[in-house]
Amino acid sequence: MIVALLRSSIVRIVVVGMMLLALQNTIFADMRPAGVALQVMLGFAAAAGAAGGSERGATAGFILGLLFDLGTGGPLGSSSITMGLAGYVAGYMALINIEPQWWLAAIFVAIGSGVGELGVPVVRSFIGDANVYSDRLYTIVPLVAFAAAVASPLLVPVSRWCLRLGKTEWKAPVE
Amino acid sequence: MAVYSVGRRRVILLLLLTSVLLLTIDLRGNAMFDRARILFDGALSPLESAARVVTNPVRDAWRGVTEYDDLHDENQRLQQRIDQQLGAEIAARNVIVENQQLLALNDLESIANLPTATAQVIGQAPSNIDQLIEIDVGTDQQVAVGMAVVNEAGLVGKVHEVSPSSSLVMLVTDPRYSVQVKVLSEENPAPTTTVPATVPSGIPVGDVTTTSSTTSTTSTTSTTLPGDETTDTTDTTDATDGSDPDTSGPPTSDGDGTGSGTTTTSTTLVPPRRDTGGLRGRGPDRLPRVEFIDESAFFGEIEPGDAVYTTGGRSSLAPPDIPVGVVVNEIPGSSTGGVELEIELLAQLDRLQFVRVVLYKPLAERGE
Repeated sequence: MIVALLRSSIVRIVVVGMMLLALQNTIFADMRPAGVALQVMLGFAAAAGAAGGSERGATAGFILGLLFDLGTGGPLGSSSITMGLAGYVAGYMALINIEPQWWLAAIFVAIGSGVGELGVPVVRSFIGDANVYSDRLYTIVPLVAFAAAVASPLLVPVSRWCLRLGKTEWKAPVE
Repeated sequence: MAVYSVGRRRVILLLLLTSVLLLTIDLRGNAMFDRARILFDGALSPLESAARVVTNPVRDAWRGVTEYDDLHDENQRLQQRIDQQLGAEIAARNVIVENQQLLALNDLESIANLPTATAQVIGQAPSNIDQLIEIDVGTDQQVAVGMAVVNEAGLVGKVHEVSPSSSLVMLVTDPRYSVQVKVLSEENPAPTTTVPATVPSGIPVGDVTTTSSTTSTTSTTSTTLPGDETTDTTDTTDATDGSDPDTSGPPTSDGDGTGSGTTTTSTTLVPPRRDTGGLRGRGPDRLPRVEFIDESAFFGEIEPGDAVYTTGGRSSLAPPDIPVGVVVNEIPGSSTGGVELEIELLAQLDRLQFVRVVLYKPLAERGE
């Protein structure tokens, strides 16, 4: 069972997720273009969705969200919802193309990240936080989405490795 | 690639429900989750240290590109303020000593007497909603959740989470932050009376005529030198703007300083009016507000510049009289009833480097 767990994609996601969280808590917390903290873990969740579909994306987002909440002191589960949403949306968009080109994947990742970031204040307002909606969202969401799109050529292959996805095999239809 | 099915929907639904369940349990407070966080922090700490070292050049380059102009301008501005405040500092030190002596005489608590733990800011929240910073002191330094965090200017926030060697501090601007505060509203200074006493240094007694009136934040000095028919120096200073009061400097002399004159000084302390309310953060781009201020005749007129301090209290972890900020706007007829006040914070929260955690235990915990 332990061997099976070690061979599963969860371990890879956790390891890569912790590395990304370390980067998120250091360089991406300090480097804030226009005062916006770029969300690399959210982008990674969306990339997992774009690479592996909505179910895998949502699962990866759930795990990454737990790591994020544990590492940043946020309410446990809140980021699981938003990152799961990002992975789900990016994966859902990817349904339109079986093997999307890099630029198409970047668009899916951007949309997924944008929706996920937009979900943050929604989830926060549901749990009772006040004043979470502001005009800054008009800056935050596009910037986070754009940054995720820029990082997607790196994040999508890493997420494919984490999810143990091989190259798509085309099979001839059975007569 | 994903193909949609009922089974996949169930998985996604299960993930969502699990998230909501975790959220519900965590919001109600759970020791197991707190312990998990501490363990996770311990595991993540080496990775963060490594990431900090590796990305330091990139961060420095980024700061060099984005902050150089601002830093240059600010450096010049600060240099000017230092020059202005050199004189004020001496007078302020004297006032602080007198204040502490008075508080000690009356057995009142003063923040200057409370133990503090100095901390360095080592990180900030990666979220765009939460207003948190990480500092390098924790339970090893007797820091506890809820303790007030200040810097030289005033209140910064409170300890949100604590681990053995680090803590997360919730800034005053965080939407979840709230603290009881009092607003001190001043009245106009009373007319001066004359009491013979003070002579500026270097000027012989009887050579100078001085009339002075002082309130808690406003002072006026007029000096008549020998041979002058009218007042030649008037300086009014609002203590909240940090400018130089310049009320104790020697007046200009006629050269040999041996003319004739008279000296009178008066001091009239006007007790400030006060009312209390709850201060709430509203995010980084909005000013915090004080709510539940009673719109009564007793409180009188609130004016921009009125000072806001913490109230303390039997169960509050924030001690009384920590300066918070100044009133900049009054918003009448809000949803909470009464007026709301927008507060400009004294502490610059976007430029924090070192802070102090006030190791204060409220009266209720001390059994007093």
